[in-house]
Amino acid sequence: MTDTEIIRAILQGEKEKYRLLMEKYQPLVFRTCLGFVHYKDDADDLTQEVFIQAYQSLSAFKGESAFSTWLYRIAINASLNRIRHSKKKSILQYFKNISGVEKDPEEIFLYEAPENPEEILIRKEHSDWLGKALDSLPESQRKAIVLSKYDDLPQKEIAEIMNISEGAVEALIQRAKKNLREKLSSDSKKMINSVGKK
Amino acid sequence: MNCKLCQENLDAYLEGILPSDMKTQLESHIKECEACNQMYRIQVLADRVIGSEKELEPDPFLITRVMAKIGNREISGYRSVDIFTRILRPALMTLSLAAAVFLGIMIGNLSLPYNNTRIIPAELAMIDDASLESVDNLSNE
Repeated sequence: MTDTEIIRAILQGEKEKYRLLMEKYQPLVFRTCLGFVHYKDDADDLTQEVFIQAYQSLSAFKGESAFSTWLYRIAINASLNRIRHSKKKSILQYFKNISGVEKDPEEIFLYEAPENPEEILIRKEHSDWLGKALDSLPESQRKAIVLSKYDDLPQKEIAEIMNISEGAVEALIQRAKKNLREKLSSDSKKMINSVGKK
Repeated sequence: MNCKLCQENLDAYLEGILPSDMKTQLESHIKECEACNQMYRIQVLADRVIGSEKELEPDPFLITRVMAKIGNREISGYRSVDIFTRILRPALMTLSLAAAVFLGIMIGNLSLPYNNTRIIPAELAMIDDASLESVDNLSNE
C-alpha cells in the first residue's frame, strides 16, 4: 500500500491506517527533532506533536511532493517553533539538567551507557557544547546541517524540503560547517582533550 | 599542504573519500600544525556526539499515544466523512428528546384519575334544586 493510498483511506475514515504512516516515518521525524532539540524527551514530545499536527492537516497534503518531504517540513517548523517560543523553559530545563534534579542521568546523556560519574559529566558537556553551537547558527544553516548530518539526506532532497536550489543548499552547508567549527573552537579546549591527538 | 587546503579537505578526509596522496599530506600536516590538529579533533568530537544522538530510539509507546489522541480529532478541512457526526446525529438526538418529552406527558396524563367535574358558574351553584318549581307545573300553565 503506497503512502497516497494510505492517506486516501485515512481521509475516508480509516483512522487506524495512520499507524502505518507513523511506523514508517517515526524514526525520520524523531531524528530531525533531535537534531534541533538534542534531548530525547523533548524529541519524543515533538515527534508526537508533529504526527498529531500532520494528521489534522492531512487533507492539505496534495501529493505534489513525497509525504516524507511534507513531514520533514512540519518537523522542522515544529522544532524551530518550540525553540523560539520556549526559550525561558529551555534555559530553566538546561539548569535543571545540569543539576540533575529532574532527569535520570541515563536519560540525559546521549552516548551509550556511561561507565562512571566523570564520564557522565564529560558526555553531558559534549552534548551541550554541540547543541549550543548548532543553536547559534542562522535558521537556514541549521536546517541544512541537521538534515545533512542527522538525517543523512542528499542535497537534492534537502533542496526540495527547504524549497531552494541544490547550489544554495551546498552553500548553506559549507557556511554552517565553517560557523560551527568557529563556534566549537571558541569553547573547545576542555572538550577536545577527550579526543586523542592525531 | 597548508592550513587552508587542510580545512577544505577535512570533511572529505573524515568521510574517507580523500585520495590516498592527499590523505597522507593531510595527516602529515595535522601532526605538525597545532591549529589544524585542534580543528581536526573538534570535528571528530562533533561527529561522535551527532553519531551518538542518532543511535537513540524514539519512545516505543509514542505511536499508541498518538493513535489515542487522534481518536477524537477531526482532520481539518475534511468534512464529508463526518456528516453523520456533525449534522445528522445532533438532529436525531433533538428529535428523540422531543419525542421522549411528548411521550412522557402522554403517559403522565394517562396515570391521572379521571375527573368529570365540570366548572359550574357561581350563580348556578347558588340555586337550590329543592325549592325550584317543577317544569311540569310550568308547562301546564
